[in-house]
Amino acid sequence: MAPQQAALVNLSPAELSFLRSSLAQTPPIRLDVTKGPRDFRSMRAEYDVLPGANGSARIALEDGTEALVGVKAEVERSPQRPSLGAHGEDVDMGDEDVDESTGKGQNGWVEMSVEVPGFREDDSLPVFLASMLKESLLASGELKDRLYINARFHWKLYVDVLLLSPALSYPLALLSMTTHLALLTTDLPALKSEKDEDPLFDDDWDAAVPLYPKTAGKTTTDKPPVIILAMAVGPNIIFDPCKEELAVADAVLAVACTNTSSSSTGARIVSIRTIDPPSHLTPPGIPNSMNSATGGTAPTSSADALTQRELLASSGVWTPPRGGMKRNLISQVTKMVVESGGIAEEVISALAAIEVG
Amino acid sequence: MNTDRRRNNAPPGGTSAPVFARTIREPGYLQSLRPRRSRGPNELRRIFLQPSIIPSASGSAYLEIPTSSTPSTSTLVPPTSSLKITASVQGPKPLPRSAPFSPSLLLTTTVKFAPFATRNRRGYIRDTTERDLGVHLETALRGVIIGERWPKSGVEVVVTILEGDEDGWWGDSASEGSANGSGWGLLNVLAGCITVASAAITDAGIDCVDVITGGVAAITRNPDSRDQKDLARLLDPCPAEHKEIVAACAVAYLASRDEITEIWMKGDIGADPDALIEGATHAAVGSLAVVKDVLLEALQAKFQGQLEVKESGVKRKAGDVDMTG
Repeated sequence: MAPQQAALVNLSPAELSFLRSSLAQTPPIRLDVTKGPRDFRSMRAEYDVLPGANGSARIALEDGTEALVGVKAEVERSPQRPSLGAHGEDVDMGDEDVDESTGKGQNGWVEMSVEVPGFREDDSLPVFLASMLKESLLASGELKDRLYINARFHWKLYVDVLLLSPALSYPLALLSMTTHLALLTTDLPALKSEKDEDPLFDDDWDAAVPLYPKTAGKTTTDKPPVIILAMAVGPNIIFDPCKEELAVADAVLAVACTNTSSSSTGARIVSIRTIDPPSHLTPPGIPNSMNSATGGTAPTSSADALTQRELLASSGVWTPPRGGMKRNLISQVTKMVVESGGIAEEVISALAAIEVG
Repeated sequence: MNTDRRRNNAPPGGTSAPVFARTIREPGYLQSLRPRRSRGPNELRRIFLQPSIIPSASGSAYLEIPTSSTPSTSTLVPPTSSLKITASVQGPKPLPRSAPFSPSLLLTTTVKFAPFATRNRRGYIRDTTERDLGVHLETALRGVIIGERWPKSGVEVVVTILEGDEDGWWGDSASEGSANGSGWGLLNVLAGCITVASAAITDAGIDCVDVITGGVAAITRNPDSRDQKDLARLLDPCPAEHKEIVAACAVAYLASRDEITEIWMKGDIGADPDALIEGATHAAVGSLAVVKDVLLEALQAKFQGQLEVKESGVKRKAGDVDMTG
């Protein structure tokens, strides 16, 4: 039973209580007072940083957290399985080139690894981050279908996520934005061979096709998902919380979304997960009335102490939050994220602008 | 990758039973074997729950959701899978001396599939899906347990899945292999883990804000209709019964507080996830009824036993007095 390796913030109960009450008032006052509840921390982003990868990106936040993502693609032989019941296969050979690859992609063709310094690769944090990133990537099914080459070969996509700095704040949003940018700028060599031939590729890198096709005319193509971290403090919802703010959160929600296929505004959700807020592990405060050093009387029995603690609920003395998230709060968060002009659209268009500019 | 080097392991890709061409009579034959959902869209599967099954643990429970369809004799392809989970709680016990101070109860959750739990054999070392499930379960339970009442102590929740829900129907060869699977069955497994762990924690007598239960809802595409947009919401889906699941959601729900401590939602949800979350909470309320009844029964049985012991003790004492007097 090793204690959590994630470095907890070293804030006293009094500081936690102060921070929480300032975040819970309307309008909330954040730790960085210049920011509103919907503001993200500023970042520096660049792409195509790794010459040996098909696509790569690096994002550094202002607090020094920095993530690097490399996307590499390899051609792999698809295992041949006995086809059940499809004996009449050679009959419908000719007329299928329209949606040849739809539904043929497999989840195993994308592999994701997350490395966070200070954590082993099988620790719960990197495993959780990797599975959330992978799950949102595979949710729509369009990416894995694009990895299909022919019946015998497919692309295998390796997405390697590296957090270069120690995990100062919960790194999920940063890693997902970096992954988004890297996938957006990933190119695969153009295929020259046809149908079920052994794949032969164009050796001209300029002819390479992007993994996520650029917007052609009016039709919007799908984009890789971004994960947005939101936390609830009292009635307030705060996006992109920093480490200290997370330590007083009532609940934390990670919402993965991507752009809608029908319209250019708004977004659709591909995955939602709750994240265990670190506030559950913070030390509870001891009120003056229970502390004999400050003129109070220490409780005589542990049962007495428990009753006195329970009566403290709204007195302002810090107690770690209990329970979960109200349902209407969840729908409020998702609505703020996906609505037209909402957080998701803002983040996706900002990341797209990096590539263009 | 951390592979188990101390034992002789089975092939990593798993093995599949040979399917002989003779068993397939015509192309549509296999599809005709596909199990169909016989329950209504809001009807849950039956649940069997039994607390205190492991005497040495401070709390334990066993959950079973039996398979809904009867096994057919004409084919080797099993129709639907069932779910069998045990949970045991060790503690709360003091942390080792070397551990740093902790102001609240340290919760450790371990979720492990038994090697024989799924079609592809699972190894002895926990793989990423099992660790991921462990994190989900920890998130679900952390909000429920009142941890500040046990400083400097730890509790371990060990969940073993003896039989897990499949990700899809066995006849669909595309869903073969755990790595390629869509993982829809994992949501059912997580909901079961939450329910059984909650029963075990209550059995161990650890203070909680409420009894937490898990529930699953899914949006499926109707295979019969031509319209691609024809989606249906179902509670407690059995992945084998549906060819195409669009999105699914598992929640851990506190009914009396109307709060959710854990959501795991995936798939193409669209802009509005509320209906799916609501469905999952309805499913959780359904299993809460079972959990409450079972725990009440167990409590009554326990106190009945204690009363009897006390009475017989008094009698024996009285008898002793008589003897000496």
